[in-house]
Amino acid sequence: MTSDKFRHQLRHEAQIWQAEGLINDLQYEQLSQRYQFNTLDSTASHSFIAILVGLGSILIGLGIITFVAANWQELPRGGKVTLLLSLFIGVNIVGFWLWKHANESRQRLGHGLLLLGALILGANMGLMGQIFHIDAPFYELLLAWGIGVLAMAYSLRLTSLGVLSIILLWLGYWGYWGSAIAQSWSTSTIAEISWSSIMGQHMPLLSAVLFMPLAYWCRSGWIFALGAIAIVTSLEANIQPFVWGTFQKGWVASIAFALPPALLWSYDDSFLVYGNFLRLYRHRDRHINVGSFQPIARNLALFTLGILFIFAATTTFWQSLAQYTEYVTSRQVNQLLLIDAVILTGIAIGQWVLIASQRYRRRQQNVITMVVGIFICIIATVTFWHIEVTNISPYATFIFNIMLFLFAAGLIRIGLDKGGRRAFWGGMLLLSLRIFYVFLLSATGLLFKSLVFILCGIGVMAVGLWFERHIRLNHPAKS
Amino acid sequence: MTSKVKTTPEVLKPQQLPGRLPFWRLWLPLLFQTGIILAAPAQPFYTQLTGKTAILQTVPVDPYDPLRGYSQTLSYDISQVNNLQELPGWQELTQHNNEPAVNDVPAGTNLYVTLEAPTSNTTPPSAWIPVRVSRDRPQNLTANQVAIKGKVTGNSIVYGLETYYMPEAQRDDINQSIAQAQRDQQRFVVEVKVDNQGRAVPISLWVDRRNYRF
Repeated sequence: MTSDKFRHQLRHEAQIWQAEGLINDLQYEQLSQRYQFNTLDSTASHSFIAILVGLGSILIGLGIITFVAANWQELPRGGKVTLLLSLFIGVNIVGFWLWKHANESRQRLGHGLLLLGALILGANMGLMGQIFHIDAPFYELLLAWGIGVLAMAYSLRLTSLGVLSIILLWLGYWGYWGSAIAQSWSTSTIAEISWSSIMGQHMPLLSAVLFMPLAYWCRSGWIFALGAIAIVTSLEANIQPFVWGTFQKGWVASIAFALPPALLWSYDDSFLVYGNFLRLYRHRDRHINVGSFQPIARNLALFTLGILFIFAATTTFWQSLAQYTEYVTSRQVNQLLLIDAVILTGIAIGQWVLIASQRYRRRQQNVITMVVGIFICIIATVTFWHIEVTNISPYATFIFNIMLFLFAAGLIRIGLDKGGRRAFWGGMLLLSLRIFYVFLLSATGLLFKSLVFILCGIGVMAVGLWFERHIRLNHPAKS
Repeated sequence: MTSKVKTTPEVLKPQQLPGRLPFWRLWLPLLFQTGIILAAPAQPFYTQLTGKTAILQTVPVDPYDPLRGYSQTLSYDISQVNNLQELPGWQELTQHNNEPAVNDVPAGTNLYVTLEAPTSNTTPPSAWIPVRVSRDRPQNLTANQVAIKGKVTGNSIVYGLETYYMPEAQRDDINQSIAQAQRDQQRFVVEVKVDNQGRAVPISLWVDRRNYRF
């Protein structure tokens, strides 16, 4: 999507060009048409009002939920049920009717009411649980609520409801996970097989199936990003007992560390975006280009790499991996938890095969992809070796520090090259965090630290000088 | 950081046109959501309609649930394994296999506890007395007996009666009277309804002579 900021800048520049005679009035008109300068001023105030209406709806919804929680006795039970159910249905119907309206301000109000309806759904569920003293855990309510909101989001194609439903399901998942962990520490091993535990165990796949189509259906990068985060976090949490616990398996740990960046970096929706796949919905609005979510996925992939490097560049991380923790008392573990990891790994491998078979990419993209691919291979191999073959904490730490340095340097370089501030500061942040850790938190002797810093300094200078020379020789135009 | 070179700059996000949406696009998910609302209480509602009243001896602790308000977590005499161990039928539950077991009963085992009404009819009502434990639902219950279904967990037995929601306004009052009742060894019981499948719902709380019915 073209950002509002860019359009503001463009309009400003275009007015100057017009004044200076660089472009004539017709060209200015064409630019204005293309980038819709006329909507610029109204957009800001509109989105401001929309945010206020949304915020108001959320506050009212919270008020109603709290009203239910207060369990006010002046109203008889039947009265409360009638009131809340009719409120739920009424708010939704009125919201839908207003939202369909051509008038934009009514549309916004209707949208707010639909959001409120989604919150009242939760209040109703809570009320039912309260009246009948239902003894189900809170996370089950969250999961069911999220599914309900998701149905509405699909039907009405509303991004806001989609985001709400992802948040609800994600919170519900963490509730489930907490209780599953607590259960594994208690003496009972037989966890109930209920709808909520099955949902929790297969949250990664479920998130992929539920949220990804919604992202394209609503054309929302937000839903895509949140959905991807839900997939990765729930996967990591689910296979955590196989990584740190007594059920440690080398290949699972490799998947845990290497899969998120591998899956996200190789994500490719070009066949969806540029193919005939969405033709169904594009015949109405042919001028619309469904944006590709690949950049979002790739940024998330780099983010996961950064997080992993920060932690894995310390010796503590590898030593804790090598230790078997003994506090897990349950004698069996649910092997079904691995299904999602295996399936997602299969998808990731397939995507990399596709990337390898494509030759038409630009060279720089290719270089970056190759580097990321090599990183992922090294991560997987080192982790597997460390757990399955022999403890190689010092070497692993060294390798990961080198990778962190290269990664950060690469980010800084790309940031400077393309004027991408985020990449530049991301790389700087990574380096700073690492240096900060070495300097303040690691428990090595001062002499060793001083040696590390001196070597690092010399190394950085050498790389800088070599790079400058390399540029001078190979790209004389740039220097 | 990474971006495709696009031959055409992207046009603005279009205004969706909800005006053309047919009405079923609202009522279909609305129906589904209403189904979700009604799904959870269907079972306890049935139990409340058809169930038979019984009285259980109780012990409490209290938490808070953001959507359902303040509640008492209750535990009963029959939640304790050592109270059931003495009863006839406990032996048939014990199994010798590799599962970790509480006193030889594997966690996750379903059981039915048969309760018998006390002979005297008092106010507050006195707790029903457990007389038998069995793996399957007892068929030959007399008129003054109910069979309540429970599940063996790590260290106790749960009956789905462990949570009791109460109004915020009366919370302190109830908690105080419960504490008082426990200090003075007064009666503290819960009235439940049990249907013919052994499922139970809590109906009201008796703290000494006071009855809280929500």
